[in-house]
Amino acid sequence: MTVTEPRPAAPAVGGTVLEASGVTMRFGGLLAVSNVNLTVREGEIVGLIGPNGAGKTTFFNCLTGLYKPTSGQVRFAGVPRKAPKPVRPKKGQPAAPAAVQVPELPKLSPLPPKPRAVVRAGMARTFQNIRLFANMTALENVMVGRYSRTSAGALTSVLHGPKFRREEAATRARAQELLDFVGLGRSTEHLARNMPYGDQRRLEIARALATDPKLILLDEPTAGMNPQETKQAMDLIFKIRDSGLSVVVIEHDMRFIFNLCDRVLCLVRGETLVEGTPGEVQSDPRVIEAYIGSGEDDDEDDEDDRPQDITEEGTS
Amino acid sequence: MTDVQTETPVTPAAAPKKRPIAWPLGLAGAVFVIVGSCLSWSYDGSILNNLSINFYPGGLQILAIIVAVVSLVLLVLDKGKLGWWLDTTAGLRSLGTGLAFFMVLVLAAISVESDGLINVNPGGYITLVGALLLAVAAWLMPLRHGLRDMSKAKSPAWAEIAAIALLMAALLFTAAYALGLDDAWLFILCLVFIATIAVGLFRTGAMSWVSHAGQRHRKVLTLASFAVAFLFPFTQDGSDANMSIATSVLVFAATAMGLNIVVGLAGLLDLGYIAFLGSGAYVAATLSQSAFATIGWKPPFLVVVLVGACVAALLGLVIGSPTLRVSGDYLAIVTLGFGEIFRFAMFNLDGNNGPNLTNGPNGIPGIPDLELFGFNFGAVHHPFGIELGRFSNYYFLLLVLTGGVILVFSRLNSSRIGRGWVAIREDEKAAEAMGVNVFGLKLLAFAVGAFLAGLAGTIKAHQDGAVSPDQYMFLESAFLLAAIVLGGMGTIAGVLLGATILKLLPEKLRFFSEYRLLLFGITLVLMMRFRPEGLVASRRRQLEFHEEDEKLADEVEHQLVEEAK
Repeated sequence: MTVTEPRPAAPAVGGTVLEASGVTMRFGGLLAVSNVNLTVREGEIVGLIGPNGAGKTTFFNCLTGLYKPTSGQVRFAGVPRKAPKPVRPKKGQPAAPAAVQVPELPKLSPLPPKPRAVVRAGMARTFQNIRLFANMTALENVMVGRYSRTSAGALTSVLHGPKFRREEAATRARAQELLDFVGLGRSTEHLARNMPYGDQRRLEIARALATDPKLILLDEPTAGMNPQETKQAMDLIFKIRDSGLSVVVIEHDMRFIFNLCDRVLCLVRGETLVEGTPGEVQSDPRVIEAYIGSGEDDDEDDEDDRPQDITEEGTS
Repeated sequence: MTDVQTETPVTPAAAPKKRPIAWPLGLAGAVFVIVGSCLSWSYDGSILNNLSINFYPGGLQILAIIVAVVSLVLLVLDKGKLGWWLDTTAGLRSLGTGLAFFMVLVLAAISVESDGLINVNPGGYITLVGALLLAVAAWLMPLRHGLRDMSKAKSPAWAEIAAIALLMAALLFTAAYALGLDDAWLFILCLVFIATIAVGLFRTGAMSWVSHAGQRHRKVLTLASFAVAFLFPFTQDGSDANMSIATSVLVFAATAMGLNIVVGLAGLLDLGYIAFLGSGAYVAATLSQSAFATIGWKPPFLVVVLVGACVAALLGLVIGSPTLRVSGDYLAIVTLGFGEIFRFAMFNLDGNNGPNLTNGPNGIPGIPDLELFGFNFGAVHHPFGIELGRFSNYYFLLLVLTGGVILVFSRLNSSRIGRGWVAIREDEKAAEAMGVNVFGLKLLAFAVGAFLAGLAGTIKAHQDGAVSPDQYMFLESAFLLAAIVLGGMGTIAGVLLGATILKLLPEKLRFFSEYRLLLFGITLVLMMRFRPEGLVASRRRQLEFHEEDEKLADEVEHQLVEEAK
C-alpha cells in the first residue's frame, strides 16, 4: 500500500447520518442502479468509485431527490422542520472550524424524493459538470445557497422590515465566511463564469456548504485538476470533515480516493461490487478487473478510465 | 483612482494624421447653420409653426441652433484640455449627420406641406449646407484614440448633482415642448432632434459620466426623476389633451413594471397579463357607484383597491398553480389562452349565459370619478394659481402607484427572493438542488405581478369611466411585453422608456396608426437582432444574452469590484 499517505486522524465516527437501503433506479429497460445500500456515519468520508456508466451519479441523484428511486428507501437523520438558530461562534475559537456547525443528530427518517426537502433535511451536493449560476458573483452564488435557511417573505423584503435586514446581513456575513473557508475570500465580487476552474469547483462546495448540511455529496470534485489543485481539494475535504460533516465523494482518481476516504464503495453496472476500507477495496481483484478488464471481455469495459492508477496499486 | 494615469495616452502627438481643413470647415458649418436658422426657411408662414420670418427663429430653427451651438462647444473643447476626456469627433459625427438628416426632413416637410421645393427660402438651404459642412468636417476629423474613460472622471459632488438636475430639467422641458407639438411633422422632427442630441452626448462619453454620477448619487437621481414627473402637469397649463396621454402612459408603465417582475425577474413568459389589469378594472367597476354596476355592495375606494388587487392575485394563483409546471413556450401559450378566456368570460357574463356581472359587450359605463378624503378627482383644482384638470389629478395618483410598483420591483429584486429568481433563470435544476423553492417563487412572481396589475386596474376603471371587454384583448398584452423587450427586461428605466415610447408615439402619430403594428414588428425584429437586451440593458441580462463575450464579462466584473469598494 504505497499510495496511502499518513493523513489526519479521523474523529470518532458517530451515529448514522444517511442510510440508503436497496436503492434501485430503472429507466425503462435500463437498470441504472440496482439494490445499492449505503450507510454514512457522522464525520465519515465515504468514496464512491466505479467505471464510467456504473451509476454513481444516478445514485447521487436518487439520494438528493432529483430522481425518485424505483424502489428502495433513503433515510436521513433529518432536521426538525424549523431551521435551527444560528449559533454564534465563541470568542477565542479559531474561525475556520466555526464556519461549519453541525447540530445534534436527530433520528433517522425517510427522505421525500424532493431536492428542496433533501436540502432542508441537511444534505447538499455539487455537480459533476459544474453548475454554478454563471452570471452571478461568487458571493451571490453562496447567498443563493442560504435560501433554504432563511425565510424573509415578500412583504418584509419590500418594506425592508427588521427581519429582512437582519437576515440579509446574516446571509451576507455567512456567505463571506464560507468563501473564506474554501479559500475564495478575495474573489467575493468576481463573476462565477470568470473564475478559474479550480475556484469554480471550490465555489460550488461553498455554495453547498451554505445550506448548512450535515452530509455533503461531492460529484468528482477534482475532475480536470492538476496535482496541486487536487491536493488543495483534499485538504479542503478534510477540513470540511473536521468541522463535523460527513462527506460522500465520487472520484475517478484512485490515489485521491484511497488517501481520502474512510470507506469505499465500488459500483459496477449499477450494482455494489465491493464495500470496505480503502485497503480492502484496492486489493480486491474484482475492482481491478472492473476497471481494466480480465482480458476476456476487454471490449466491454472502459479502458481509458485511468487504469494507470490501478496498475500502480496492483504491482505494489 | 491612481491607475487612471497609467492608462492615459502618452502625448497628443500620438494622434493619427490630422487634416487641418477639417476644424475650420466644421466651424464654418456651425456658423452657417446658426446664420441660416436666423433667416427664413419657408415662404409659407402657415406651416410648421411659422418658419418664414427673418431674424425671428421659429421652433425648428431654434432646435437647429441648439445643435449647432453644441457642435461649436465640442469644436472648441476639441482644442482644449477636456478634449482628452470627451470623444469630440464621435460626438460631432453624430451631431453633424443627425443635423443634416434633420434639415433634409425639414425641407421635405416644407415641400410636402406647401406644394414643392419652391417654397423653401434661402435660409433653409444655407442651414442645410451648413449642416452638411459640419457632417463632412466631422467625418474628416481623426477619431480619437486612447481617450480617458469618462466613467472614471472624478468631479466634485455638487457638479455631479448639478449635472443630474440640469439633465432632469432638460428632460422636463423637452417633454413639455415635444408633447405640445400637435403637428405630426413637428413631432417627428423634434424626435429627430432629441435623438441627435442624445446620441451625440452618448458618443462623446458625457452620458457615461452622467450615468456614473447617477449611480454615485442614486437617491438624488430617483428624487429628481420623481420631481420631474411630479412637475410635468404644471407645465401643461390646464390642458387635458396631453395629460390624458400622460395618464394612459402611466397606467401602461405601471402595468408593464408589474409584468416586468414576471418576465424580467422570474423569467416567465406571460402573454395574458392584461387580464389581471382587466380583472382589477372590472372589480372596481362592479363595486362602483355606477348605475350599471351589477353588485349592490358599494365599499369605499380603498377597500375596492384591495379587493381588486386581491382578486387579480387570486386569479394569478389559480392560473399559475397548474400552468407553472410547464415552462417556456408552453407557459406562453397557456397564459395567452387564459387572457382570451378572461375576455370571453367578461363578454359572456351578461345574464344570458350566466349571472349578469359585466353587462357583456356593453361593459359598465358611467363609473363616477374618484373621491378620496374629500378630494374630487373629477374637478379642476388651482394650486398656486396653476390650473390642474381632471387628468392631472389622476396623473398624480398614478404617479404614486407607479412609484409603489417600482419600489416593489427593486426591493424584491435585491432580496433573497430576487436572488432565487436569478438562480432559477440561470439554472433551474441547480437552483432546486440548492434548496430554492422553484415552484413557490414562480408562483409568487405571478401573484405579485397580478396583484400590482389589479391595483392599477382599479384606478384605470375610474379614470376611463367605463370598462368593456375589448379593452383587454391579446394585443394589449403583446404591447406590454413589447415595451419590456424594447426597453430592457429587468430594468426600471428601460421599461419606463419602452412603455413611454409604445404608448406616446401612437397617440402623437395618429396618421401612422395603420402601420403601427408593422412598425413595431420591424422594430422588435431589429432589436432582437442587434440589441437583444433592450435599449437600457440590465447588467445581468446583458451577460445572459452574450454568453460568449469574455470582454463584457470582464468589464462587468470590474464594475462590480469597483462598486464593492
